Amino acid sequence: MSANEYRTPGEVLGWASEYVAGPGTYVWHEKVYASVVGLLRLTPAATDVEDQRPTIEVTREKERGAVPEPGTVVTAKITKLFPRQAAASIVCVGPRAVRDKFTGIIRQQDVRATEIDKVDMHTSFRPGDIVRAEVISLGDSRAYYLSTAKNELGVVSATSDAGAAMVPVSWQEMQCPITGQREPRKVAKVI
Amino acid sequence: MFLNSQKALLKSDGTRLDDRLPSHVRPAFLKTGAVSVAAGSAYAEFGSTKVIVSVYGPRESKKAQAFSDIGRLNCDVKFTSFATPLRGKAGQDVSDKEFSVLLHKALEDAVDLHSFPKTTVDVFALVLQSGGGDLPAIITCASLALADAGIVMHDIVAAISLSCVGKDLLLDPTYKEESQQDGSVFIALMTSRREITQVTFTGEWSSTKASEALELCCDACVKLGEVMRVCLKEDAAEATEDT
Repeated sequence: MSANEYRTPGEVLGWASEYVAGPGTYVWHEKVYASVVGLLRLTPAATDVEDQRPTIEVTREKERGAVPEPGTVVTAKITKLFPRQAAASIVCVGPRAVRDKFTGIIRQQDVRATEIDKVDMHTSFRPGDIVRAEVISLGDSRAYYLSTAKNELGVVSATSDAGAAMVPVSWQEMQCPITGQREPRKVAKVI
Repeated sequence: MFLNSQKALLKSDGTRLDDRLPSHVRPAFLKTGAVSVAAGSAYAEFGSTKVIVSVYGPRESKKAQAFSDIGRLNCDVKFTSFATPLRGKAGQDVSDKEFSVLLHKALEDAVDLHSFPKTTVDVFALVLQSGGGDLPAIITCASLALADAGIVMHDIVAAISLSCVGKDLLLDPTYKEESQQDGSVFIALMTSRREITQVTFTGEWSSTKASEALELCCDACVKLGEVMRVCLKEDAAEATEDT
């Protein structure tokens, strides 16, 4: 890849009347500018759309550390358990690992979609469990708000008292393969 | 005495002690990716001034800080104890804190803080050798490091300083020229959009001389910006070949 094909922040890419500004670009005073270092990419507009301007974007090849955003599915590790919420440390955002620690909180009302009033945090999670959750908001200054209310969200990996990785047997139970002990969890339905 | 000090900075043919014309900048060496553990980093040399900048983040803000809908940019400038002719003491002194504030002001307009809400980007600048024009070198290097880290920016920021010695305007002064200056101006410019993010005058300036100095600095910043873009492109292409 030649160095001349890269774009740097502040470079003019074209007129805003001719291109739709995609990721890695922004519009300022009727022009489209690059906002990251990366390669230029043009995507023609779909034929059925009225706006026929191609989309212009600058894609970065060296991936940046992932940052949780509302709406994304994250992988987190439960760190602390409280009567009304569980604290988790976010380790992945989608398929990408997080470089620095981000704190998330799963509140009691966000554990499952049904029987919200009867949720018991201690029968849903344990410290050390790996969970899949969805970021529902930026939360407060301390933590992001996570939710496991969907069927595909919840505990995906847990360790039993005997130290073995447990096997999910239903949506609310996991079983130890060594001792046969069953433990309650909010289990994710992994596809 | 005044005449002697003025003659000591300029030769008879109008060039400086290091054979530069008054309007020429020192040779620059720029390189990104100098620190492997950082999200982005850059190393810069301007003559005998050597600076290294690391960028970490976006990462979680400290709990003591309040919630913020936009991101936070923290800047920290330090001089090594062997950076100056007189041995410096460890830790930050008054000028280091002032440099940190000026660096933050120069960069925050160029960085899109809305692209990383609630998180923090930390910029650490370390001056390895102080040879004059330290703050412009720090800002230029920090801008390269932020672009290397993939932080969304409106433009890259180039910075340059200029010293006034008698009737002469010396661009990109060395340590010796800085120590004998009557006044100085330092400017940080978003090179593509031609917007100034920071300008500081010290000493006595007439209005005509001040505008002439600003013109000189802006032209030099635009040229320096082009050098910065070439450095970013070549390092990005080189990083692609490595993978």
